[in-house]
Amino acid sequence: MSNFRIAVDIGGTFVDAVAFNTQTDDIRLAKALTTPEEPSRGVLNAVESLGVDMADVSIIVHGTTLGLNAIIERRGAKTGLITNKGFRDIFEIGRGNLPDYEMYNLSYQPPAPLIPRRFIGEVAGRLNTYGEELIPLDEKGLIETARGLIEAGELKSLAVSFLYSFLDPAHEQKAKALLREHFPDVVISAASDIVREHREYERSCTAVLEAYIRPIFERYLDQLQTELAERGFAGTFLTMRSSGGAMTAEVAKSSPLHSVLSGPAGGIVGASHLAQTLKRDFVLTLDTGGTSVDACVIKNGAPDVIHETMLDIYPALIPVYDIRCIGAGGGSIAWTDTGLLKVGPKSAGSVPGPIAYNRGGTEPTTTDAAAVLGFLHPSSFEGTSITLDAEGAAKGIEDRLGNTLKLSAIEGASGIFRVIAAQTVGALRQITVERGLDPKDFTIVGFGGAGPLVATLVAHEMEISEVIIPQFPSVFSAWGMMSSDIMTDVSRTFIAELTDDSLKQAFDLFDALGAEAKDLLTAQGMPEEKQQLHRRLDMRYVGQEHTLSVALTDTMSTKDLSDAFHKLHLERYGHQIDESLEIVNLRVGGVGLLDKPRMAQLDKRVTPGTVADPVSERDAYCFVKNAMTRFGIYRRQKLSSGHVIKGPAIIDEGTCSTVVYSGQTVSVDDYGCLVIRTAQS
Amino acid sequence: MIDGPTLEIIRKYLLSATEEMRRTLIRTAFNPVIYEVFDFGISVYNKELQLMADAPGLATFLGANDYAIKKLYDYIGEENFDDGDIIIMNYPYWNSAHAADVTLAAPVFMPGADRPFAYTCIRAHWLDLGAKDPGYVLDSTDMHQEGLIMPGLKVVKAGKADREIIDLIRFNSRMPRNVLGDLEAQIAATRTGQARLIAIREKFGGEVFDKAVRQIMDYGEEVTRRNLAKLPEGTWEAGDFIDDDGVGSGPLAVHVKVTHENGRFIADFSESADATRGPVNVPVGLTQTLGKVALKCLTSPHEASNAGSFRPLEVITRPGSIFHAEYPSATYTQWSAIGSSELIFKALAKAIPERLIASSGGDILGFMMVGKHHRTKRMFALSNNEGVGWGASAKHDGLNATNHITSTVVRNTPVEVLEANSSMFIESMGLTQDSGGAGKHRGGLGQYRRIRFEGDGEFLSITKKSESRPWGLAGGHDTNPSGIYIFPDTDRAKRVGTYRVTVAKDDIIETRSGGGGGYGDPATREPQKVLDDVLDGYVSEQAARDTFKVVVNNGVLDLAATEKLRADIA
Repeated sequence: MSNFRIAVDIGGTFVDAVAFNTQTDDIRLAKALTTPEEPSRGVLNAVESLGVDMADVSIIVHGTTLGLNAIIERRGAKTGLITNKGFRDIFEIGRGNLPDYEMYNLSYQPPAPLIPRRFIGEVAGRLNTYGEELIPLDEKGLIETARGLIEAGELKSLAVSFLYSFLDPAHEQKAKALLREHFPDVVISAASDIVREHREYERSCTAVLEAYIRPIFERYLDQLQTELAERGFAGTFLTMRSSGGAMTAEVAKSSPLHSVLSGPAGGIVGASHLAQTLKRDFVLTLDTGGTSVDACVIKNGAPDVIHETMLDIYPALIPVYDIRCIGAGGGSIAWTDTGLLKVGPKSAGSVPGPIAYNRGGTEPTTTDAAAVLGFLHPSSFEGTSITLDAEGAAKGIEDRLGNTLKLSAIEGASGIFRVIAAQTVGALRQITVERGLDPKDFTIVGFGGAGPLVATLVAHEMEISEVIIPQFPSVFSAWGMMSSDIMTDVSRTFIAELTDDSLKQAFDLFDALGAEAKDLLTAQGMPEEKQQLHRRLDMRYVGQEHTLSVALTDTMSTKDLSDAFHKLHLERYGHQIDESLEIVNLRVGGVGLLDKPRMAQLDKRVTPGTVADPVSERDAYCFVKNAMTRFGIYRRQKLSSGHVIKGPAIIDEGTCSTVVYSGQTVSVDDYGCLVIRTAQS
Repeated sequence: MIDGPTLEIIRKYLLSATEEMRRTLIRTAFNPVIYEVFDFGISVYNKELQLMADAPGLATFLGANDYAIKKLYDYIGEENFDDGDIIIMNYPYWNSAHAADVTLAAPVFMPGADRPFAYTCIRAHWLDLGAKDPGYVLDSTDMHQEGLIMPGLKVVKAGKADREIIDLIRFNSRMPRNVLGDLEAQIAATRTGQARLIAIREKFGGEVFDKAVRQIMDYGEEVTRRNLAKLPEGTWEAGDFIDDDGVGSGPLAVHVKVTHENGRFIADFSESADATRGPVNVPVGLTQTLGKVALKCLTSPHEASNAGSFRPLEVITRPGSIFHAEYPSATYTQWSAIGSSELIFKALAKAIPERLIASSGGDILGFMMVGKHHRTKRMFALSNNEGVGWGASAKHDGLNATNHITSTVVRNTPVEVLEANSSMFIESMGLTQDSGGAGKHRGGLGQYRRIRFEGDGEFLSITKKSESRPWGLAGGHDTNPSGIYIFPDTDRAKRVGTYRVTVAKDDIIETRSGGGGGYGDPATREPQKVLDDVLDGYVSEQAARDTFKVVVNNGVLDLAATEKLRADIA
C-alpha cells in the first residue's frame, strides 16, 4: 500500500512536515525543532511525528536551505578553482562593485571568500568570442596545477570555469574528465554542466558555489536516505528546486545548487496550484515568517522564473522564482530613530523571541504589537505550549517606543503594523509595477506564520479587494511541495538578430536542447508520455541589454515572435520601439508530470451564505476605523464550506490568526480557504 | 506634528517611488552606461525644490539634481509649468555635469491643480549628442565643441511629445537610436514617479504629506548633525594635483580648506587653480556634490538622503576657478572632480586618520574603444572602468580592484561582453602584485589588463591621477598611480594617463590601475598576515622582506629571521 505522500521543509526554527493520504485526501501536519548541527535529525523527528507507516509512503518531497546555509556560514567543502591562463582573478575581482546598500560605506568589508586566491589555478587554453579555439587545452599543465592546489589546500572539491565554455564546453569537459580520472576522490564541478550562458564571472561563481556545497549535500542526502530506508521507506525521494518542481536525490546530489532556495519555492508552487484551482489570474503571494516577507507575482497561474540570483555575495546563474524578500516579519524588532518609528531588519528570532512569549525577549516586535492590538490572545494558542503576555508586550512597547514618540501602547502597536505594512506594500508595488501590472487587479494569498495576520491590512493599504488564506497557512510551503512535478532546465546563449534564418537555427538548437531535457527527465524515471517541454526565448531590442522571455510554440513565425515580443515590451514598459530584435538565450523547461494531491474539499458544508457563529468576542484594533472595536472570534477548525463571517473578526487556528477588518467579509470556499473581500465602495 | 509611524511610512513610500523610477529606467534604457554603469541620478523634490528622496545611482550625481532643478525652475518660471510637461536640459553650468548628461525634470500636479506640488528629476548619461569627437571628449576648449546644448526645453508639452525637439536631437547625434531610446526610458521613469507621488499625496492628504516631508527632512538633518558632532572641530587643508587639462596645461592644483565648527561643515575650494582651457573645469553644482558625498560617507552612509541631510554643509567656490566653471569653459572630462573626491578626507586625515581610509587609487581608470567592428562592420563604442585598490584603515586592509569610491555600485564590463561587442581581445587581466600600499594594514591591489586589438579603431583612456600617488595614512606607504602603457615593447611605447590614440590590428595596450594607500607602519604588520599575502600572491617574497620586514622563503615564514630583521631596524 502506498497511500501517503510526505513533504518536509526545513526552516530556520522549525521543520514542517505534511502527510497527504491519497485515498482519503486527509492531511496531517507535524513540526519539529530544526537541528542545525545534524539537520537530518530534525527532519526525521518531524517525519516520525506524522505517525505514518513509512512503508506506506510513495513519495517524499524535501525542501532544504542546507546549501544556502553552508554558503552563508562558510561551512562548505575546501574548494579550489581552475580557470584560463591569464584570468586567475576573474573570481576575486568579480564585477568590482559594492552591494547597493553599501554604496557610501568606504569601510565596507566583504565576508571571507569561498576560495582564497592561493587555491585558484590557471591552465593554458583559450577560445575566442565565436567559440573558436585559439590555444588548445594544456592537459599536462592542468593535472600539475590541480595536483598542486589539491595537495596544498587538502581540497575536496574543484570547480572548473573557462572563458566561452557556454559556446563550446569541450575544454571544460575534457578538463573535468581528466581531473576525475586523476583525482577520483575530489568532486569536480564544470560550469558548463550547470549553465550555458555568457558572462564569465557569474558562470565561475555558479561553478564554485556548486563545488563548495556538493560534498556536504551529498553526505546529507545519503544519510537521510539511509535513515528513511531503515524506517521502511521504499518510495521515491525528491528534492525541491528553487524554481519549483523537484528532482530525484541522484540529480540533487550532482546539482545541489538547484536546491538552495527550495524552501520559499514550496509556497510559490502551492500558491500557483491554488491560483489555478480557484481560477485567479493575478495573485500576489505574501509569505510572512518570523524574520522576513517573501513576495512573488503569479500571473495566469505561473510565477516568473529568473535565471540569476545572489547567494551571499555571489551571483548564481540558476533558475529561481522571482521572489522579493524584505526584512519584515513576525519577529522583527521595532525601534525609534529621531522621531521615526522603524521596524526590522533585526529580528528577535525564536530566542529570546517577542516580549509577549515570556522567553526573555525585551524588545518589542510585530508579534507584541499583535498581542496589544488584540489580534493574538492567550486563547489563540489553544492546543500549543505558547503562552501570551499581552500586558508585558504593552509595557514593552510603551517603554521602548511610547515614551520617546509620545504614543500610547495602542498607538505604538498600530504604528508597528502600519510600518510593516508600508514596507511590504513597497516590495509588492515594485514587483507588480515593474511588470507593468496594476496591483489593484490582484488577489493576495497570505501564508507563513504571520501572513494571515498582516495580509488584510496590506490589501487595505493597496486597495486590493481580495485576500485568500489557504488551509494550514503556517505549513503552506511544505504543502506546496507536494504539488511539484519533476522539472529540469536546459539553456543556451545564442545571440543573433531575429531573422527567418536565425529562427530556423534556434529551432534546430531547441531540438537538441529538448532532447537533452528529455534525457534528464527519463533518467529521473519519467516515462515519455508524462514528459512536457516548454520553450522560451530571451529576446531584446538590438542595442538593449535586458531581455524579456517569450514563450515559443512550434508554429510561430518570425513575425509571430516579434509581435509577441513587442506586445510584452509594451505591457512591461509602456512603450515599444521600431527596432529589430535579437535572440539572446534559448531555454527549455522539461516537466515530468507527477500525480498531484487534489486540493482537498472540506467535508463540512453549510448552505452558502450561512453566517458563522463566533466562539467569543474581544476588543481589537480595526485599521479601517482606526480604533479599538469589538471583534467576533472564530475557530477555523469549526468553520464549514459556505460559512460567511462579516468583519471585524479574528479567525484563530492555533498556529496562526487571520484578522478581518470592518467592511471585509469572509466566505469559506469549497476547499476551506478563507476568501476575504472588501465591499466595493 | 506628524506621528512617528506616519513619518516612517511616508518616508518609505517616497523611497519606494524613486526605486520604481529607477527600475523603470534601468530596464528600459538602451545604453549600457545607464543599465550597467548606473550613470544616472534620480530624485524627487517638494514644491520648495527640496530633495524628498533619491535612488541609488552614481555617487557623483548625489544631489547634482538639486542645483539643476533650481536653475530650471528659475529659467522656465513656475507659472509656465503645465501638467504633463517634461523638460530636458544639459546646459553644463546649470546641469552640474558635462553635456553628455541629460536631465529630464517634470512638475507633478494633483489632478485639477493649477500649481505643481512636487518635481521629479532624472539625469542619465547619453552616448552621443554630437560633440566634436565620438565616444568621449578629452580636449575641447569651449562648451560648443561638446555637443548639442539644451537649456531647458519642454520635450513633452502637456503630455504630448514635441517631434521637433526630438528630431533636433536625432539629427545632432551620431547614435540617434540609442539616444532616443534612452530619452524614452527617462520619460517612462518620469511618468512612473509622477503617478506614485500623486498617489502618495492623495493617500495621506496634502497637509499631512507636506508636513511629513518637512519633518522627514528634519530627521535627515538630525542624523547628519548627530554624527557630525562626533568629529573634532577645527580647520584643515589639503592639496593635490590633477594631471593636466587635456590640451597641454598641468599639473593643476586643487585645494580644499575644511572647517568644522558650530555644527557647520564647510568645504572651501576657492584656492584651487583658475579655470583652464581644456575640459576639466567643474560646474559648481558638481563641486557641491563632492561636499555632499564626503559628508554622507562621514556621517550617514546607510541612510537615505534628503535636503535635511545636507543642511549643515556649505561648499564655497570661486567663480572662474576650476571648481566653478563659467560659460564658455569646457567641462567634458569630469575626472577632475572624481580625482578630487578624496580631498576632503585628505584634509580631515590630519585630525582623524583613525576614522578614514587612505587614498583609493586616485580616480577612475576608464578606457573605451570606438570603431567599426572587425567582423560585423557595425559601429561600436564600448567602455569599461577598471577597479582600483582601496585605501587601508586603522581597522582593515583595503579592498582589491574595486570600483572607485565615486562609483561603487558600478559594475565592470565582463571580458565576454567586451570581446563580443568590440575589436578588443583581452590577453590577460588580474591583480597587480605589490601594487597595494604597504602598511600595518595593506592598501588594496590595483589591476592590470593587456588588450590586443583585432581591428582598427580609436582607443581612449581616462585618468587624471597618473602623476600623483595615492597616499597612505599614519605611516602607511603610498603606492603607484594608474597608468596606461601604449604599444609596449615597441618604439612607440609610452606611458600615458588621459589619451586618445588610433589603433590597428595586433597593436597592444596595457592598463594598470592604481592601488590603495597603506595604513600604519608596514614593519608592524602581523607576520602571519604577510605570509598569507605571499601565499595568495598579493605580495612578493621580495616585498615581504624589503617593505614589511618579514622573511618568507618559498612560502614558509621564518619567524626567527623576521624578528631579527625587525629588531635590526627598530
